Amino acid sequence: MPLLAFDHVDATYGQARILHGVTFHVDPGERVAVLGRNGVGKTTIVNTLCGVADIQAGAIVLGGERHTSPRHYLAARSGIAIVLQGRGILPNLTIEENLLLGASVDRPGRWDLGAVYDLFPILGERRQSPGLGLSGGQQQMLAIGRALMANPNLLVLDEPSEGLAPVIIDELADLFRRLADEGTAIMLIEQNIGLIQRVASRYYVLSKGTVVESGDLAGMTTQQLQDHITI
Amino acid sequence: MLIQVLNGIAYGGLLYLLAVGLVLIFGLREIVNFAHGALFMLGSYIGFSIAAVFNFWLGLAGSLVAMTVIGIFLDAAVLRPLRKHDHMVTVLVTFGILLVLEAFATAVWGKSFRSMSAPDLLSGTVQIAGEPFPVYRLFVIGVSLCVAAGLTAWLRFSRVGLYVRASSVDPTTTAILGVDTDRLSLIVVGLGTGLAGLSGVVAAPLMALSPTMGNYILIESFIVVVVGGLGSFSGALAAALLIGQIHNFGAIYLPWASTMLPFLLMVGVLIWRPTGFAGKRT
Ligand SMILES: Nc1ncnc2c1ncn2[C@@H]1O[C@H](COP(=O)(O)OP(=O)(O)OP(=O)(O)O)[C@@H](O)[C@H]1O
Ligand SMILES: [Mg+2]
Repeated sequence: MPLLAFDHVDATYGQARILHGVTFHVDPGERVAVLGRNGVGKTTIVNTLCGVADIQAGAIVLGGERHTSPRHYLAARSGIAIVLQGRGILPNLTIEENLLLGASVDRPGRWDLGAVYDLFPILGERRQSPGLGLSGGQQQMLAIGRALMANPNLLVLDEPSEGLAPVIIDELADLFRRLADEGTAIMLIEQNIGLIQRVASRYYVLSKGTVVESGDLAGMTTQQLQDHITI
Repeated sequence: MLIQVLNGIAYGGLLYLLAVGLVLIFGLREIVNFAHGALFMLGSYIGFSIAAVFNFWLGLAGSLVAMTVIGIFLDAAVLRPLRKHDHMVTVLVTFGILLVLEAFATAVWGKSFRSMSAPDLLSGTVQIAGEPFPVYRLFVIGVSLCVAAGLTAWLRFSRVGLYVRASSVDPTTTAILGVDTDRLSLIVVGLGTGLAGLSGVVAAPLMALSPTMGNYILIESFIVVVVGGLGSFSGALAAALLIGQIHNFGAIYLPWASTMLPFLLMVGVLIWRPTGFAGKRT
């Protein structure tokens, strides 16, 4: 049974229909990429999952249960942690408080403050300082660490490489692979081909709010992937 | 002079009790609750009625409990169902609730002013710096400071307090991280409304009870919230104490302008610092 599936989802913001019949799924332990150009609706998939965009047709399926009007916290409480585009750091909270927010779902597992500080020592060193004082890469670490605090079965990442230096992107790629090896499924929404190739095994291409192609990454050349993103 | 400062603190304390409820509700539901002054008024009358049969202390406790329950109901029955609508719709609905509560109070308690006296324990005066000062006002100051200290500790050190602080800046992200903001909102609106009830009873011996008694103090509480910085709890405390002093000294030295001064302060602060003392959110 998939951890997360979209079943022919049409989604809107107010009157604007952004997603048209979007269908995909992520199985336990899988590494799935969603790619597409700017503005095709990638973030809207995330927003639909967390009830920010409205489902007009179809349904999202979490652990076998269909939902057509999910509350914001449903995904997190179902074991799906989301790293939002723009990271969503709470500026009035310290680094440690931001991390504790991730643990609000009370799911048991190996991730706690100590484990996150082992993974990202810089967060531990600065635990009492405000989250906004961090560099872009450190903020991304905080957002990822906070998602891990939920001990998720599935980690959804919306363009985690945005604005980061190549060396940091490499570290993220290793981290995502490691997490997947340890059993956490990864859904990587990205435009960075290198990161997609290093992390994902399966992909979906989104164009104008519709899934236009999907398959295994193994047979794909870099050029073929590039063609889906740059036009 | 010291007496006047204490008077200002007592009034500022009342403003704080109301303003902090507005901040709590604004943080989670992102709406300005126009019914808050009417809830203060209702709390006052409930305390008055209970005190008439039993005593002041039961009136205080009874109003706090009753208004908390009413707040929980307000969130579950009104604010939550309206969350998908434009915030303006909800704000107008809270304005409607204000009118309904005023009509209700008029029907039950009548239009004429009622008064409630302080309990025997708190009546009389004490000498402060050689001048008499009403014991009851010290009580008002004490209650406000206790609430401020309790609330601050709760926000800073408890798990739920962390969630409240997070959602007062970004309720959507907080919920996406897994915080059950529906349950949190019941707690927060219940607490905010309960505090409105508490301040209504605490204020009752200081002012005449009438169905419109909450209107002016609500406007000053709005000013406190704006000056303190929308969504800021510590900012609200600082602003309430400041406006309490302005209210009081204005009435003594500039009586013709006294109701205008808080507005002038607000305009000044908004020009100098558009997000208020501690504001982060635009
Ligand atoms: N809150 C909103 N209200 C209305 N329209 C929106 C909203 N958010 C996004 N859109 C529109 O929906 C479309 C898809 O946006 P979305 O953010 O999903 O794209 P994206 O694929 O994530 O782009 P990017 O790669 O730049 O992050 C865009 O045309 C955008 O203008
Ligand atoms: Mg996006």
